[in-house]
Amino acid sequence: MSDEPSSHPDRNCGHTLAFLVLRLFLGLRTLFAGIEKFEKGGTYSAANYSDNMHHMAAGITGASFLPLWMTTDFAMTLGYVLTLLGGLLILGVKSRLTLFVTGLVYVGLAFGLMAVQEQQGTAWLGIYVGLIAGALVLVRHDRLALWPDKRD
Amino acid sequence: MPDSSPSLTRRDFLVSGAKLGAAILAAPYIARAAGPSSGGTQSLNVALIGCGEEGRVLLNAALKIPDIRFRAVCDIWNYNRTYGQRLLEKFGHDPKPFEDYKEMLSAVPDLDAVIIATPDFMHAEHTNACLRAGHHVYCEKLMSNTPEGARSMVRTARETKKLLQVGHQRRSNPRYLYARDQVVYDHKLLGRVTNAAAQWNRAVTEDLGWPKKFEIPEAKLHQYGYENMHQFRNWRWFKKYAGGPISDLGAHQIDVFNWFLKCNPRSVLAGGGVDYYTTHEWYDNVTAIYEFETPHGVVRSVYGVLTTTSAGGGYHESFMGDEGTLKMSENPKYTKLYREARAPEWEHWAATGLIKRSTSGEGAPPPVAPWEKPRPNFTLAPPRASVVDVRETAALSSWDMPVTLDLPIHQPHLENFFDAIRHGTPLNCPGEVALATAVTVLGVNDAVAAQKMLHFAPEDFTA
Repeated sequence: MSDEPSSHPDRNCGHTLAFLVLRLFLGLRTLFAGIEKFEKGGTYSAANYSDNMHHMAAGITGASFLPLWMTTDFAMTLGYVLTLLGGLLILGVKSRLTLFVTGLVYVGLAFGLMAVQEQQGTAWLGIYVGLIAGALVLVRHDRLALWPDKRD
Repeated sequence: MPDSSPSLTRRDFLVSGAKLGAAILAAPYIARAAGPSSGGTQSLNVALIGCGEEGRVLLNAALKIPDIRFRAVCDIWNYNRTYGQRLLEKFGHDPKPFEDYKEMLSAVPDLDAVIIATPDFMHAEHTNACLRAGHHVYCEKLMSNTPEGARSMVRTARETKKLLQVGHQRRSNPRYLYARDQVVYDHKLLGRVTNAAAQWNRAVTEDLGWPKKFEIPEAKLHQYGYENMHQFRNWRWFKKYAGGPISDLGAHQIDVFNWFLKCNPRSVLAGGGVDYYTTHEWYDNVTAIYEFETPHGVVRSVYGVLTTTSAGGGYHESFMGDEGTLKMSENPKYTKLYREARAPEWEHWAATGLIKRSTSGEGAPPPVAPWEKPRPNFTLAPPRASVVDVRETAALSSWDMPVTLDLPIHQPHLENFFDAIRHGTPLNCPGEVALATAVTVLGVNDAVAAQKMLHFAPEDFTA
C-alpha cells in the first residue's frame, strides 16, 4: 500500500475531473459558437444562418486575400460543424478525435482572422487552441463519456 | 374697291398701345401675385446684404430652396460682393451688385425679402430700412448689439406689418423641435428639469487678414462706420460693432435656454475677461449663470464660452432633469439622451419609436467588424462596479433620438421664413422672440462689467 497517487489513468480522479470540466467547457463554448451563427435580431433560423455566413464570408474576403468561394464554403459549413462538435464534446463521443477536429476548426478560424489582421480575435482563438491541446494531453483520463476512446 | 378693314385712328392706336404697355409692365407682378393660387409656388425676389462669411453660408442654404430668385447683392467690400454675385450667377441667378443698401432698395423695388448678414451694429439700420421699404426681412443673429437697436426692429416690423425672422436657426431644426416638443414636454422624459448647461469651446483663431489689393480706403471705411480695415475684418471682437463671443457663439445656445424653458431669465451673474488675445476688445472667455423661473420651479443654467481651447467636448446644450438629461447640439455627434438610474425604464419609449438605443458615440455598442454580425440586444444592470465612491450615482444609460437633419443647418429656418411669406406659416423666430434673446445675451456683458448679479424685469424683454 502507498500514499503516492496512482499513475494509472483510470485511477487518477483529479485528472479525470480536470479533463471533464475542460471537455464540458470546450463543448459548451463550441456548441454556442455554432448556435449563435443562426441568430439574427433575436431569432434563430437556417435563413438567418445563411445571411450571417454570407455576410461573414464577404467581410473576410473584402478585407483579405482569401477568395470568396473559399470563405463561403468554410462559412456555410462552420456553424453546423461547430454545433455538432460541441454536442459531441459535451456528451463525450470519441473525445480525442472530436477535440482534434475542433482544434483544426479553430486553427482554420484563426487563419481567417490572421488574414484580416484581427489580432485580438486571433489571440482568443489561440487560447482555445491551447486549451484543446491541454485537453488532448488529458484525454486519456476521459472516463465520464458516452462513447469513450479506446484506452492507451 | 371698298376698304373692309377696321379703321384705326391715331387715338385708338395710342389707347391700345398704352393698354398693351401697361399689361406688359404689370405681367410679372400679376403672375407673382397669382402664383400660389394658380397651383405653383410663388417665386420670391430676394436680396442679400452682407456677403461675408455668414452671408455665404446663408446663400448656400438658400440656393437649395426652390423658387427663390436673388435679384441683388450688397456689400461695402467689393471682394465679398463679387464673390456673392459670382456664386449666384453660377446657379443661374442674375443679381445686381450694390455697395450701398439705400441705392439697392431704390434701384430694385420689386423685392419680396431681404436677407441681412452684416455686422451686428448694422442690423437695426439695415432691417429698419428694408422693412420700411416694404420688404420682409431675415436678419442674422444677434438681432442687434444693443437692446435698443433690437427693440427698434421689433417696432418697425410691427408698424410696417412686414415679417422679421431672426437667424436663431436651431428653432427650425427638426431634431431640436422633436427634442423640445416630443421628448421634454409631451412625454416628459427628463422629469422635473432643474438645471441647464451649455458651452462653446473653440480653439485659438488668428485675426482675419485681407488681400492688400482689395483693401478698402480708410475714408470709405469711416463713411460706413469702421475705424480701419483690421476692425472691419475682425468686427466680432470690438465693442463698437458686436457683443463678443457671448453674442457671436453664445447667442445661439442661450436662445435655446429661453426656447426650451419657455421663459426668460430673471437674473444673470457672469465673469469674463480679455485674458489671452491682445488684439481683441471683447472678453475672450465668459461664464454666466442664469436663473429661470419656470412654472415647474427654478432652473439654474450655466453658460460658458471659451475662444482659447476646443477641449471639453465642443458645443452643446444640456437640460438636466431628475429622470433624464437631454444633451443637444447642432452637431449630431454631441446629441444624446441619458436616463437616470432611478427613473422608470425607457424600453417602452424605444418600442414606440420615440427614442432609440444609441447606435453611435456614447452608449453605443462596440463597433462591429465587417465579418461580424451585430450582437443581440440586451441590457445589463447599471454597472455599480464602475462607481468609485459611495456618493457617486450609478451610470446613466444613453439613448438617441430618431430625428436627423440632412440639410444645411440654416436651410429649414430660411424655408420657414419663405413659407411665412408665401403661406402665412408662423415664424419660428420672430423679432419679439429674438429681442428677448438679445436682451438675455447682452445682459451677460453687462453683468461681467458690473461684477454682480443683474436682475431682469419683464419689460426688458419687450418693445
